[in-house]
Amino acid sequence: MSGDEECARGDLLTQALAGERAAFAALVRRHQRSVYSMALRMLSDRHAAEDLAQEVFLQLFRNLSAVSSEAHLGFWLRKVTMHRAIDRLRRAPRLEGAAEELAAAVSEAEPADPLLERRLRALLRELPAAARAVVLLRYQEDLDPVEIARTLRMPLNTVKSHLRRSLAQLRERLDGTADALT
Amino acid sequence: MKASSAKWRWLLVPVGLVASAALAAPAAPLNLPDFDALAAKATESVNISLDTSLLGLAAGFLDPSNPDDAATKELIAGLKGIYVRSYTFDGGFAYPSAQVDQVRKQLAAPGWQRLVQTNSTRDRTRVDIYVSVDRGLANGLAIIASEPRQFTIVNIVGSIDLAKLHRLEGKFGVPKLDLPPESRDGKPGK
Amino acid sequence: MSEGVENNQELERRLRSVLGAVDPGEGFAPRVMARVAAGAADTARPARAGAVASWLAFGLAASVVLAFLLAHEWQARRLEQGREARRQLIEALRVTDEKLDLAYRAVNTREGGAPPEHSGV
Repeated sequence: MSGDEECARGDLLTQALAGERAAFAALVRRHQRSVYSMALRMLSDRHAAEDLAQEVFLQLFRNLSAVSSEAHLGFWLRKVTMHRAIDRLRRAPRLEGAAEELAAAVSEAEPADPLLERRLRALLRELPAAARAVVLLRYQEDLDPVEIARTLRMPLNTVKSHLRRSLAQLRERLDGTADALT
Repeated sequence: MKASSAKWRWLLVPVGLVASAALAAPAAPLNLPDFDALAAKATESVNISLDTSLLGLAAGFLDPSNPDDAATKELIAGLKGIYVRSYTFDGGFAYPSAQVDQVRKQLAAPGWQRLVQTNSTRDRTRVDIYVSVDRGLANGLAIIASEPRQFTIVNIVGSIDLAKLHRLEGKFGVPKLDLPPESRDGKPGK
Repeated sequence: MSEGVENNQELERRLRSVLGAVDPGEGFAPRVMARVAAGAADTARPARAGAVASWLAFGLAASVVLAFLLAHEWQARRLEQGREARRQLIEALRVTDEKLDLAYRAVNTREGGAPPEHSGV
């Protein structure tokens, strides 16, 4: 990130803190993809994800003074999104199929192997909430295990364990799927 | 919809849980104890108390033009209250015997009958389902469920149509139930 | 035809591909801002009376604004309460159905026996 860009981002946050709604709206636009994607991958439901994402930004608006910098903002958004999503998941059964497929359809990446990647998405949905959160933060948000541990308030060893086991499980089940598809 | 054995017949037949049960006077809400000790140790607590006025408020925020919302609105038309206490734990937990006994004492009152008592040693799961009956019609439901990492009590005041709840399968995250075709309209099977 | 996943690196590559960011679609930010407008406490100061000479006129203007703010605040709170009630209702129905399903599965496994043991915390 260039110095000018960082400065501009800092200005946006400062303006939002000063009560400028347009600046806050710009912050929403800047971070909406990340927040919504995390919510969608966790909840597997487009409407629930939008609802949760809106609530996260609403909570941000109410607690903006607690955010000290752009970097802290990213951390704050990930933390709140994941905690809210995990809360919901623990209470509600997952929705299957349709919403996630729709999300796949609008995803901008063109899958090289659509069948296998569809299977991978389905397997991700089967991961327990905490493990899924760890995987998302690692591979969607590109956080390292220390940052994941801080975001989820989880011991570092637990994060590493979730990553290790989840990857092993995904690999094992994907290998079985791949064999079946050949 | 999957064809299956009569999943809810044993639940529907004895008490005729049908839409017309809205005619019965609702049972009084159970006096649910505090589960503070459980809540303190739970990683997740759900505490929902929706009385008539809050149900009305919620219903007002269901969009009648949305089929799912409309179905939900229809489902809760006969409800006077819905109360949920649910606690989730990372590991085992101490079964709140004393508090559950307080609830069971209320469920021993005239009008309440226990429909289902399940114990699964394999799954370490116990579920009891009670229904309150007034003049042959159900006007209340209580569920006490204990699983390895979760304890839940549900109390529904008023009538709820299980067939209609079943029709919400897949909506709002309600998992799919299996009902025999003859039960889909809410009438009990034979 | 699909190839099997050969190693962790390949799996990680696929995960990154599958977990590409998804846009919530047009109108998301405006919808958030609408909720912000509805739910945020209005910190607007009373309209400036400009060069108002009379304290009475100023007080009257402040009263009108205050009444408006209170009504707006009430409406905003009602909106939030309604949404929260709806959310709780849906969750309560989910939990109810989940436990009914649990009973069904327990009955159908035809498992009986001693009550479940729970380890102490």
